[in-house]
Amino acid sequence: MERVRNFINGEWVESSSKECGDVWCPATGEKIGEVPFSTADDINKAVQAAKNAYWEWRCTPPLSRARYFFRLKNLFEDSFEDIARTLVTEEGKTLDESRGEVRRMIENVEHATGVTTMMTGYNLEDIAQGIDCTAERQPIGVFGVIAPFNFPAMVPWWFLPYAVVTGNTYIVKPSEQVPLTQTRIFEVIDECGFPEGVINMVHGARDAVNGLLYHPEIKGISFVGQSTTARYVYKACGETGKRVQALGGAKNFVLVMPDAELDRHMPSLITSFYGCAGERCLSGSVLVAVGDVYKELKERFVAAAKGLKVGNGLQEGIQMGPVVSEKHKEKVLGYIEKGIKEGAKLILDGRNIKVDGHPNGFYIGPTVFDEVNPEMTIAKEEIFGPVVSIVHVKNLDEGLKLMENSEYGNAACLYTTNGKTAREFKFRAVASMMGINLGIAAPMSFFPFGGSKGSFFGDIKGHGKEVFQFFTDTKVVIQRWT
Amino acid sequence: MTFTTFGAIMGFAAEMVGQAEEIYGILSQEAEEPELKEILTTLLEEGRRNRPLMERMRRENVTEMILEPITELPWEDYKIHHSVQGRMGDADILKLALALEERERKFFQDASSKLSLPEVASRLRKMVRKKEENLARLERLGMRPSFKGIFVD
Repeated sequence: MERVRNFINGEWVESSSKECGDVWCPATGEKIGEVPFSTADDINKAVQAAKNAYWEWRCTPPLSRARYFFRLKNLFEDSFEDIARTLVTEEGKTLDESRGEVRRMIENVEHATGVTTMMTGYNLEDIAQGIDCTAERQPIGVFGVIAPFNFPAMVPWWFLPYAVVTGNTYIVKPSEQVPLTQTRIFEVIDECGFPEGVINMVHGARDAVNGLLYHPEIKGISFVGQSTTARYVYKACGETGKRVQALGGAKNFVLVMPDAELDRHMPSLITSFYGCAGERCLSGSVLVAVGDVYKELKERFVAAAKGLKVGNGLQEGIQMGPVVSEKHKEKVLGYIEKGIKEGAKLILDGRNIKVDGHPNGFYIGPTVFDEVNPEMTIAKEEIFGPVVSIVHVKNLDEGLKLMENSEYGNAACLYTTNGKTAREFKFRAVASMMGINLGIAAPMSFFPFGGSKGSFFGDIKGHGKEVFQFFTDTKVVIQRWT
Repeated sequence: MTFTTFGAIMGFAAEMVGQAEEIYGILSQEAEEPELKEILTTLLEEGRRNRPLMERMRRENVTEMILEPITELPWEDYKIHHSVQGRMGDADILKLALALEERERKFFQDASSKLSLPEVASRLRKMVRKKEENLARLERLGMRPSFKGIFVD
């Protein structure tokens, strides 16, 4: 059984901690590994290594830094299937979802290699008589990421390549629930031959998180996870004067207008709600049927949801895997109980699903609640599982109002054939990632990823053009030689 | 049983091409008629190029946003009931090659209509055209007197 190690200063090292957690295969319910709960001392060692490596790395020309990432991209392509399968084994999603995630991880590496154009500053001659002014972008020091369980491969790479290619050094703290994927990825990093200390990884839980947040030598933190923790991270970074981008949870609304093409878009609606077993911050959660589409939409959606093939994601052709852990399964089941108790009508019940050969897996089948009232818990709180709440509204205004009242503002989608309706939705909806006629509004690496309201704390979001600013300081130089 | 995901379709495509490549490797050694031998060698080379291409397409085109469930593409339709059993004569070799090419043509055609990824669908359609050319070439060969009668059954 694998007990993962930290990667510090180019070496695989044991954590100084005796405490460790278990890693599970959600599809089978078997223990497959152990993860150390690293201490502040382990974090110190990683920070020291990253700090020592910083100056030489910072003085390496940007194009030379980018070349490491070109090489890394090719190595990732060679290890693609291996990384994807490791991910399925510990997280539970399907092979295709996992491959999609690894692909998006690599896309961030590809985007980061554009550093020689993305990191440039600007200048103006004669800002006063004979005086020229330049704004230059410079790296800052040691940065770190605290990653979530649901995208163990991709999320650290929304930040890492940009931080490192711009000349900073880096520490990754993977989720303690899914440490194997980044471990596999770091084996590839090790093979790639980055200078010692430039990229480090420390496994752990609360102590490791606090070790990063409160370390005085860390200049900035990227976080993705629940909103309560995102708020905590944001506050801690404020206290310690760090740059911060903290991406939190979501409650995403998917509106379907009476003129929507249900035939064409039913597969994408299903993917929106049940892809990754609903464990993604872009998943649809509330299906808002507008006007007289309600009855037909409900019937067709439930029929399609019933047809989904649920099982071990390692089997090609499976369309929905288990949720990540027994504990998370209990939490999702708790929400289903609450929905029933609060009066919603359970029209598709996934609680007792049986998957052949895997009686102990953490499976929940596609679940649908009808007649959901916006005041019910299941309509307000993030469930992070394959549970859909159908809310029937009269018109677009009423649908938009639902979204305004939500504490989250991550993603929202609309299905319509009417351009005016789409424009109005895009213009008025209070969410930062919008999908029109698609159910997963996932910005690719060259666009920013992040929400608003309770879904995001900070200024600059993940990847996109802007992330180059997060990892660099703008130095203004004013010169007179005349 | 039906293909239900993009990965399943592309995985089968790679497997199918790999299986044909293996068979063409044997048949190209066994065939005696020079043109048949040449065609089989060409098909073997084509398989060698196409298998990694299928795997690369699966790796590079798996886009999270449009990973949608796929329906109505049954496995059964693409089963092949032929295999290399002992030494085969040229007529049987030609028949088997025709069956293998027809299976690939049909699969690529059907799969291209099911995928919501235009780049992949377009590539598969290109492969359909290539398979049609191969089939036409094999059929022309089959019309020669030395292969007379192979299209009877």
